[in-house]
Amino acid sequence: MKILVCIKQVPDMESKFKVDAGGTWYAKTDLAWRMNEYDEYAVEQAVQLKEQVKDADLTVLCIGSEKVKETMKKALAMGCDRGAHIADEEADKKEPFQIAGIIAEYAKEKNFDLIFTGMQSQDRGSGQVGILVAEMLGMPGITTVVHFAYKDGVIEAKRELEGGVKACVKVAAPAVITCQLGLNTPRYPTLPNIMKAKKKELLSVPAADLLKVESRQDTAKMYFPEKKGGGLVLEGDPAALVDQLIKILKEKTAVLG
Amino acid sequence: MKVLLIAESREGKLLNSCYELMAFAEKMAAETAMFLVGSDSALPQYGGKLYLADVSAAGEYNPDGHKQLILDVVAKEQPDMVVFSHSSYGWDLAPRVAFALQAAQISEVVDVAGSTMVVPVCNAKLRRDVAPKTAKTVVTLQAGAFGLAEVPSAAPVVEKLTSQSGGKIEFTGYEQAESGGVDLGKAKIIVSAGRGIGKPENVAMIADLAKALGGEYGASRPVVDSEWVEHNRQVGTTGQTVAPKLYVACGISGAIQHLAGMKKSEFIVAVNTDKDAPIGDVADVLVVADLKQFVPALTAKIQAL
Amino acid sequence: MEYTREIYWNVGHSAGTLVPMYLFAFVAIGLLVKGFLRRVEVYKQGLPLDRTDQRGRRIRYMLENVLLQKKVARVRWPGLLHGLFFWGFGLLFIGTTLIVIQADFTDLLFDVKFLKGTFYLLFSIILDVAGLVCIFMLGGLLVRRYFYPPEGLETKTDDAVMHGLLLTILVTGFLIEGARIAVTELGTPLSYWSPMGLLVAHGLSGMGEGGLRALHKVTWWFHLLLVMGFFILIPLTKFRHIFTTSTNYFFGDLGPKGKLINLDLENEDAETFGATSLKEMTWKDIFDADACTLCMRCQDRCPAFNTGKPLSPMKVVNQLGEAAFHNPEANLIDSFSKEALWACTTCRACQEICPAAIEHVRKIIDCRRAMVLMEGEFPGEEVMAAMEATEVNGNPLGIGYAERGDWAESMGIKSLAEDAEVDVLYFVGCYGSFDKRNIAVAKSFVKLCQAAGVKVGILGKEEKCCGEPMRKMGNEYLYQSLAVENIEVIKSYGVKKIVTTCPHCFNTLEKDYRDLGLEVEVESYVVFLEKLMASGRLRIDAKELSCTYHDSCYLGRHNDIYAAPRTLITAAGGQLVEMDKNREEAFCCSAGGGRILAEEKIGERINIKRVKMAAATGAQTLVSNCPFCLTMFEDGVKGAEVEESLRPQDIAEILAERIV
Repeated sequence: MKILVCIKQVPDMESKFKVDAGGTWYAKTDLAWRMNEYDEYAVEQAVQLKEQVKDADLTVLCIGSEKVKETMKKALAMGCDRGAHIADEEADKKEPFQIAGIIAEYAKEKNFDLIFTGMQSQDRGSGQVGILVAEMLGMPGITTVVHFAYKDGVIEAKRELEGGVKACVKVAAPAVITCQLGLNTPRYPTLPNIMKAKKKELLSVPAADLLKVESRQDTAKMYFPEKKGGGLVLEGDPAALVDQLIKILKEKTAVLG
Repeated sequence: MKVLLIAESREGKLLNSCYELMAFAEKMAAETAMFLVGSDSALPQYGGKLYLADVSAAGEYNPDGHKQLILDVVAKEQPDMVVFSHSSYGWDLAPRVAFALQAAQISEVVDVAGSTMVVPVCNAKLRRDVAPKTAKTVVTLQAGAFGLAEVPSAAPVVEKLTSQSGGKIEFTGYEQAESGGVDLGKAKIIVSAGRGIGKPENVAMIADLAKALGGEYGASRPVVDSEWVEHNRQVGTTGQTVAPKLYVACGISGAIQHLAGMKKSEFIVAVNTDKDAPIGDVADVLVVADLKQFVPALTAKIQAL
Repeated sequence: MEYTREIYWNVGHSAGTLVPMYLFAFVAIGLLVKGFLRRVEVYKQGLPLDRTDQRGRRIRYMLENVLLQKKVARVRWPGLLHGLFFWGFGLLFIGTTLIVIQADFTDLLFDVKFLKGTFYLLFSIILDVAGLVCIFMLGGLLVRRYFYPPEGLETKTDDAVMHGLLLTILVTGFLIEGARIAVTELGTPLSYWSPMGLLVAHGLSGMGEGGLRALHKVTWWFHLLLVMGFFILIPLTKFRHIFTTSTNYFFGDLGPKGKLINLDLENEDAETFGATSLKEMTWKDIFDADACTLCMRCQDRCPAFNTGKPLSPMKVVNQLGEAAFHNPEANLIDSFSKEALWACTTCRACQEICPAAIEHVRKIIDCRRAMVLMEGEFPGEEVMAAMEATEVNGNPLGIGYAERGDWAESMGIKSLAEDAEVDVLYFVGCYGSFDKRNIAVAKSFVKLCQAAGVKVGILGKEEKCCGEPMRKMGNEYLYQSLAVENIEVIKSYGVKKIVTTCPHCFNTLEKDYRDLGLEVEVESYVVFLEKLMASGRLRIDAKELSCTYHDSCYLGRHNDIYAAPRTLITAAGGQLVEMDKNREEAFCCSAGGGRILAEEKIGERINIKRVKMAAATGAQTLVSNCPFCLTMFEDGVKGAEVEESLRPQDIAEILAERIV
């Protein structure tokens, strides 16, 4: 069995973000980097599947600069067999359609039985890449998966819907799975596996070789939203405070339907 | 400008989100048509043309089938934009439709100015203005971002669609949310009690507010340690780390482990008598008030909404 | 006439006595040696560990504790009973040996007798009194064990055999003496030098000489057999502690206190890390089990055990022994239980009190290392999340690393990157950097330095967690990577002195970082401030303060810093009311051993228990010296519902409020 898991290196969301000089993306200074949370579920599920079927080869793919290799090493330490690094200094300028195009181009003749990825990235958050890859490769794609089981070429999965309801679906491999919080608890790499990961194959391919599609959208500007309430302090008569707070909740949040 | 609105139904019920799509169209001042896989008995109140595929034939979850039906409608209506909710349904279907239409997809739109869409980035810490480069566009709208349209009393002009069966993915049924065990990690709204609530009897007051808001109630470590609230409701790095859309901290001063466990929440309201408590640093709104007066009043008002 | 007595009186100094006697003795001693040799084989199952360096120090430590019973005496009553019994029994042993030496060597071979005259009188009275003391002490211990046993004391057949045998040996000894005196010394001044023997002699005097002689002979042989039995039983019962506990002092950990063994993570041949089975423990760990006397002192002080958690340091030690002798293939982690292993706060109360020089904490950490490094297992998901947060942002709270130095901006403190010309580097730690409550402590410390004219710098966003909680949780890999990065940064600025306000940082930098190349002087802020005050650079107004003081485990037991903080508090005008458990006996706040990262799921809350002890003093302020303690107490005063009457504060805050 051949499995591909696609991951992204993202800044930790606790970082101090700044807009870069170009004004269309965040600056790279003072950021701590990590594996996209949803991709961690994808890696874990791929490794679990590999452990289940035993005879499997698991490739982890990541697009980005030399630095993303640190994150790929974590995936290798978690149990991926080899790394495919798509070298691209300008990956953050690419929109989801181009990213999906690169992955599909990489994967098209490699006959992967399963492709796992996160349901979205924590930074851009478009939630498109997984399904676009599936469509490009002509494979069925299942999104926001919170339960996954594989037996004899058939996948039984549960998709998370709103309000905790799940949709149960069945599909035959090959397929693309996008992973959601709750699917599993990603393992903490063991020390022997961290050591082994250092010796695993990690080849780089220039993104230009795989990029065959045009961008379909442009970012005009990136900026900080107006402060939500910005540490607003309300004082005074409780009854009046109730009305003020309800007004704010209606304006600033979507919780009071 | 013409937009095709993709309404949703689930378990035989029309979802309210179609009125959000209509609010968006109003804001765009666009001509509309609507698409729904549903049934005659659960139609939206909508004055325009509704393309209706019968759910008994098309299924509630059948991405290949639904995609084809939408493409058929697009071929007929030639809209400039196909509009989904950024829901589990739209999330899944929009990229498929965008790919087939060779259209740009812009996800989780929170605002719009002309052809420029505003989307959140990095957990809504930043925003982006995005402009599509394709003639047609597919968008998904963030829940609640555009409010609900005034529900028209009109009935739609229904055009029925016939669907082909098939598709590679087989839908085998729904599984209902588990009752009982709380999972604060997944709660959209959390109201938490701190030692400021004074006594164990007041937990009920916090639980009532959570219920009125449609969320769960949690607690800080000292409250759990005093056994006023069970363990699995403890918020903080030594309990559950949470990131709901709304977090209401009641009588919590804000020990670091609590703050680190909830500061990723999208909107934080703190209710406290102490204006200088650390919770104020992370709160979007700090209400300085006596909990015993404020919380029940807030609960009553919300229930009355 | 010179005072003396006939040795082998009544039994005769003939081959008929000597041959069987020496035969018995050789057999008994042979069995004793054989018994221990068998045990040595069991110890050898463990990994090598050098504990024979610095022999002078080792011998001194052993003598101090064996002869002076220093650690045994730490617990007053049982300690006193044991100490006196030890001395009494020791004197009896020496006395008996002197008799053998004179009768069968010096006198036999060279006609030299030394048990005579004044020396004999002293010999006689000392042995008589020693025997009496032994009987009373043993009686006391017996009453304690069988009639008023402290909670949790385990009494086995071993104990019955030991008490019974010793008591019979002592009583038969007096019977022999009494019978002899009744026949040979009654009415002579000599008899008064054996008062207890004389008493017995009076009791027996009605028997007549024949009866007395018969009684004497039979009892003499019986006494001899009992003593031989005692020898044989030493390796087979807890009597072995006479040898093993004494030897364990020699093999003891000479420190630095609590310093863990650095794992070689670059070792490509290493297949396993940490310990899951006996062969991954050291021989000393197995030997420890043989040195344990089940005295329960560790368990009595263990904060986990005393709040209903499934950890008893004593059990851990004995389960290890159980495995070593009966089930060497056993999975130790299962034997100890994971919950027990994760419950340890590494507070060191067990090790500090142990009268057998046993090292409990290292065993627990070794097992944790195996769980974390080999299995990726943690006590809960929250701990794994904290580990991952630390990997990403260099702090377990998961706050953006770039904000680490933000607190200092308003204080006019710069990072070394901006200005490396400083008197001291303040290693702030995660809580001092990110937690509002502890930022107040950090600011207080900086204010004190500024008042004393000390120029302080910080590393700011270049500082990372020191790695202590991770290391104690068993994550040696993460600890070493954090440590290496910190050391590299510190070295690059040519820092001359480091001061910390966190005892965990202090202990780690001062001890653990040495193995990884840090050479700079490291000082805890309490010692640093005390010196500033003593030199007159820092002047503090004494203002009244009703307080109690909590010795954090890592300033106290781990580093023996007890006086400096008390001097500071007193100088600030503090009326210190000590809690019952203070200094070496202080009760942990719950957050050590990486437990700061973990949810306390089982039993009573440790922090609440400690806060209640503080509240019981009636003091209004609970003074601490550690960010973890302070965090736990801020929660604890709420949990104990004393937040109105007891206020947790750090020493630095109290001093900063009183700067002249």
